[in-house]
Amino acid sequence: MSTVLHSRGSILGAFDHFRDELDDFHDRRERLIKSSRDVTNLSKKVIFLIHRSLTESNNQSDDGETSLRAVSRAKHKLKEIQDLFAAMREEVAGDRFWRYQRNVSPGLQEYIEALSFAHYLECQTLISYAEVQRSLSDAGGVPYFPLPLDDYLLGLSDLTGELMRYAISSISRRGGRSKANEVCRFVRGCKADFEGLTPYVRELRKKQQVTTQSLEKIEDVAYAIAVRSSEYDLPAELLDDIVERTVSGAGFRTGEDERDRGRRGGRRSGEDEDGDYD
Amino acid sequence: MDPQNLDYINQLLDKDVELREKIKDQVTDFDKKTRTLTGLLNRIHSTPPNQVPELIATVTPVLDSCKETTAALAELIPPNQFWRWKDMWSVSLRNAVFAAVLVEYLRSGGLLPLPQAAEALGIKDEWQDRLTLSAEDYLHALISMVNELSRLAVNSVTMGDYEQPLKISTFVKDLFAGFALLNLKNDTLRRRYDSLKYDIKKIEEVVYDVSLRKLAPAQSEQALA
Repeated sequence: MSTVLHSRGSILGAFDHFRDELDDFHDRRERLIKSSRDVTNLSKKVIFLIHRSLTESNNQSDDGETSLRAVSRAKHKLKEIQDLFAAMREEVAGDRFWRYQRNVSPGLQEYIEALSFAHYLECQTLISYAEVQRSLSDAGGVPYFPLPLDDYLLGLSDLTGELMRYAISSISRRGGRSKANEVCRFVRGCKADFEGLTPYVRELRKKQQVTTQSLEKIEDVAYAIAVRSSEYDLPAELLDDIVERTVSGAGFRTGEDERDRGRRGGRRSGEDEDGDYD
Repeated sequence: MDPQNLDYINQLLDKDVELREKIKDQVTDFDKKTRTLTGLLNRIHSTPPNQVPELIATVTPVLDSCKETTAALAELIPPNQFWRWKDMWSVSLRNAVFAAVLVEYLRSGGLLPLPQAAEALGIKDEWQDRLTLSAEDYLHALISMVNELSRLAVNSVTMGDYEQPLKISTFVKDLFAGFALLNLKNDTLRRRYDSLKYDIKKIEEVVYDVSLRKLAPAQSEQALA
């Protein structure tokens, strides 16, 4: 058969071709890993930005307003991340996406965490698969790449940790206790929803444990508040006033104080990269 | 989570689970075939050169039967999802390619190139995004062949075939020179490539033993033959 390679020259020719192919693969992989890292960094910044905006000391504005302000700032930043994904579009076109999915997935999950956090503050719901996919599509609604279900679920699963921080750091604020209870209910719902999906998604089991820990932290705080406030037979409004006066009277800058609390309560074991709040 | 979204997710999951099961069935089948292939090809170590064509004749039908499996897999895989599922069958596929390239070496002493290896397993160009023979899988198969040939060099001497080691030596060195052209990263391919030198050393030793005792025809004679 003439197609069979007999000479060293023809064999080396075939390998030349493989080299180009493998180089192309490795180079693209490196580029995507870099992009994914950029996405991760920006996403973390969005999350910190939201936390910061939520705990900024301005006691005048009401709670909904604070949330919305945080959301509008976050959205601006999220757009930057979406642009990064748009730029990756060519690299992961066609059958390439699944070849590099593992390299893109860390950034994607972090993005979903940030996006779903902003979404929660805006709508008090869990962002749907379709909505996440839509955020990763061009103006004509054509997706940059298919959203893997695993990444969607794992990204959402990380949201519970952020909500825990949010709940705990808002507890000393006006209306913070009812907020904490609300978040607590929501996280409980998430945990229940994810439980049924755990057998299908590999890493979800570990994340579920973290969710459970976060939930317990919120529950513990809610418990402490319930027990202590029972000592005073006062309406919630009045309690808010007392707490507020005490906090400002002690000369703390509220923001700092709350962040500190968030940190003390907020550390999750095995998640060091998230520990740095500033 | 709102029920509609949860429903949708469950639908997606069910679809994936179903697909995975179907692929798994095909892979089990594929695996059986490739095990038969390696079993048959193991006989090269005890088959005298004049009976090798008969041995190849028993291998060919099994190799051809792999075409059904690749066709069934290509049918199952959704467009653009080749890389999502390929890990499920890559071991079997590499073994099948190993059989194909080894058979070609035994038949003609040459290297079966990638496109022809894919063709031998019935993999069609138009399946590109669903089922294809990747360079990585093909290269893994070549390394398996070299591993096998180093054994063959030893065993053919035992069977009294003193020419085979010399042919193997030339062929394997050509392949090794080819692998040296690649910029391999620190992955399994790299590790297996690193192991090639032991195969080469083994083959060299056989060649040395054979030529030292003047058992093989002189190099110049062989070149003429």
